[in-house]
Amino acid sequence: MKFIDTVRDPWRTITGEDGPMVTLTPAPNSLLTLAQWHGVRNTWPAGMTVGVQFPNDADIEDLADDLPRLALVVLHFPKWVDGRAYSQARLLRSRYRYAGEVRATGEVVVDMMPLLQRTGFDAVVLRADQSIEIAERALNFFPGHYQADVHEHRPLFKRPAGEETTNREFNQAGSAI
Amino acid sequence: MYQYTPFDTQFVKQRAAQFRDQLQRNLAGTLGDDEFRALRLQNGWYIQRHAPMARIAVPYGELSATQLRMLARIAREFDRGYAHFTTRQNCQYNWIPLPKAADVMDLLASVSMHGIQTSGNCIRNITSDCFAGVAADEIIDPRPYCEILRQWSTLNPEFAFLPRKFKIAVSGAHEDRAAIAWHDIGLQLLKNEAGEIGFKVLVGGGMGRTPVIGTVINEFLPWQQVLVYLEAIVRVYNRYGRRDNMYKARIKILVKAEGQRFLDDVAEEFKKILELDSDGREQIIPQAEFDRVAAHFVTPAGVAPVVGGTTDGSPITAPAGAPAAFQRWLERNVHPHRLAGYRSVTLSLKRTGQAPGDITDAQMELAADLADRFSQAELRVSHDQNLVLPWVRESDLFALWEAARAASFATPNIGLLTDMIACPGGDFCALANARSIPIAEAITERFDDIDELYDIGDIDLHISGCINSCGHHHSGHIGILGVDKDGSEWYQVTLGGLDGSAISGHQSTPGKVIGPSFAADEVPDVIEAVLDTYRQQRSTAAERFIDTVTRIGLDPFKTAANAQRRSTAKA
Repeated sequence: MKFIDTVRDPWRTITGEDGPMVTLTPAPNSLLTLAQWHGVRNTWPAGMTVGVQFPNDADIEDLADDLPRLALVVLHFPKWVDGRAYSQARLLRSRYRYAGEVRATGEVVVDMMPLLQRTGFDAVVLRADQSIEIAERALNFFPGHYQADVHEHRPLFKRPAGEETTNREFNQAGSAI
Repeated sequence: MYQYTPFDTQFVKQRAAQFRDQLQRNLAGTLGDDEFRALRLQNGWYIQRHAPMARIAVPYGELSATQLRMLARIAREFDRGYAHFTTRQNCQYNWIPLPKAADVMDLLASVSMHGIQTSGNCIRNITSDCFAGVAADEIIDPRPYCEILRQWSTLNPEFAFLPRKFKIAVSGAHEDRAAIAWHDIGLQLLKNEAGEIGFKVLVGGGMGRTPVIGTVINEFLPWQQVLVYLEAIVRVYNRYGRRDNMYKARIKILVKAEGQRFLDDVAEEFKKILELDSDGREQIIPQAEFDRVAAHFVTPAGVAPVVGGTTDGSPITAPAGAPAAFQRWLERNVHPHRLAGYRSVTLSLKRTGQAPGDITDAQMELAADLADRFSQAELRVSHDQNLVLPWVRESDLFALWEAARAASFATPNIGLLTDMIACPGGDFCALANARSIPIAEAITERFDDIDELYDIGDIDLHISGCINSCGHHHSGHIGILGVDKDGSEWYQVTLGGLDGSAISGHQSTPGKVIGPSFAADEVPDVIEAVLDTYRQQRSTAAERFIDTVTRIGLDPFKTAANAQRRSTAKA
């Protein structure tokens, strides 16, 4: 899991005084709103890195055709208990085989980490008051899970016996706390 | 019953460790109360009127004597010496201080128990038939499927923060003892004409402010595909269920609003999972996995059919000279069994002086002893808030009756008026508008004559302290709902609710309100007047209450009930 330092983050949103700008000049590492992306996707230069901020109440299917051109998809948590973006991330990875970065923004708190990781997020912008150390610890409580997820495509019952408990470091990382 | 694998054991221990970490951060002030709330809820910890309420999962109602003794120990050492069994087959405590919560979770983990997903907006503990695996009318034992679903739903990362809570019930018998049509998803196991096993799937049932009966979304789903199918339903709900208004956030509202489009969306999502997703087909359950889980639910080694015993559930008659109370107990508390010479037996938790479903630590120890002696150390929690011993030899019934009577479990009232369902209500619950327990108590005292109870016969009385409907008032033949008006307690009475069981004609429907709310002290009179009306109007002594209500309609009952108004007469 990558913890994004917003100061050093190379991705730039394109915002004017009145919110996201409608007309924009393509530049590398632009992080666009969905509306901005719809405005420029037909003319966006091939090979120029671009990312999209995708709202959690829109259909992720609508982004499917654009995914090969996107280096980053940002999914949003308006409240941390609003779980819609987990389904979006899972579909990006499992259904559309999206291999770019999937980043969580909004109200992202440390206790979401296992859920984010297992549904396909690989980067997070933690809420300002959250601790990276505790977030990393939160990732290490469980040696394995019952269900398949985006990393382990087999539910527990499809894994060979014994395989699920071989990950000792996870066990100890969790139990030592 | 299911025995934890090393993986399961490690898993609940780590869950307890994770919870301890969260609790410590909360107590240290680094995890705010608001955020901790959603986390503790998913481990069963509410903040209630007096202290946190802890809800412990009893998966599909199966409990070992060892587990029950641990529940007793927790009641004794951490609570005030008692616990409460719920309509969702769980166990609740009301007085455990939050700083002790992690210690309780560690103790529970030591006997393969936990509070995972007993609250919060996630997939809750899965419920089933309390006679699963032993019922004479069983088509297919639902327990292996329940266990596979338990594992699938436990810490499923995509579905941890749904729009609202999500309840699944599974039945495998002809009689529906799990009220499946009242659940977000109801699963009925059946065989098709080719003899293959599958599920009839209902979706969008629920109680609360808007009682809705589940819609059949699939007449026959091959069992191997059930995880894929449930994923499709829950994903559509997670994406499109309303989140702007918690009263409209249950899946029933989505199903009603979208109608056919919801059904189509699920069908399409199901197809896509199987055709496109990297892990889609991996979720089809192999026969070997089913067999591995089912091996946990074989008939216990000490149990074998008794030569010459019957399995048709024919009544057992007490020998001449046996006490009349024993005969009554045989009639009401002893149930047909799939094995010749065996019966399952209900230990009634409905008796004068204790709230419905309540049990003391000493009584829990006694019930565990009865399970050891008479039932292969196994018990069940019933949807009707009683305990069940599933493996009792017919030849042991008299000895069991004597022991159960000594432990206060032998009230011969199962299925009768005083075997009522009631939530803890305003005495404990912070959500409640009104108290349930004093109403239950007043009715129990009013109808303490066993002959009168027998004369009234089979009837479902359900009491909820608020519209959240934990006491299932919608599905009671008589339902009582606590409401708050101007800061005082009032009670709305409904008639004709049906929970889907045979006595309800295998129908499910919410009851109808018979008039403005009554004052608390009018309620027992209203119930008595309604029951007197039934006894005057029934066509024969054999016509049950609910059948009389259906036949003659509500008006005679309304008239009788309204005649009882005193303080509410002026309003």
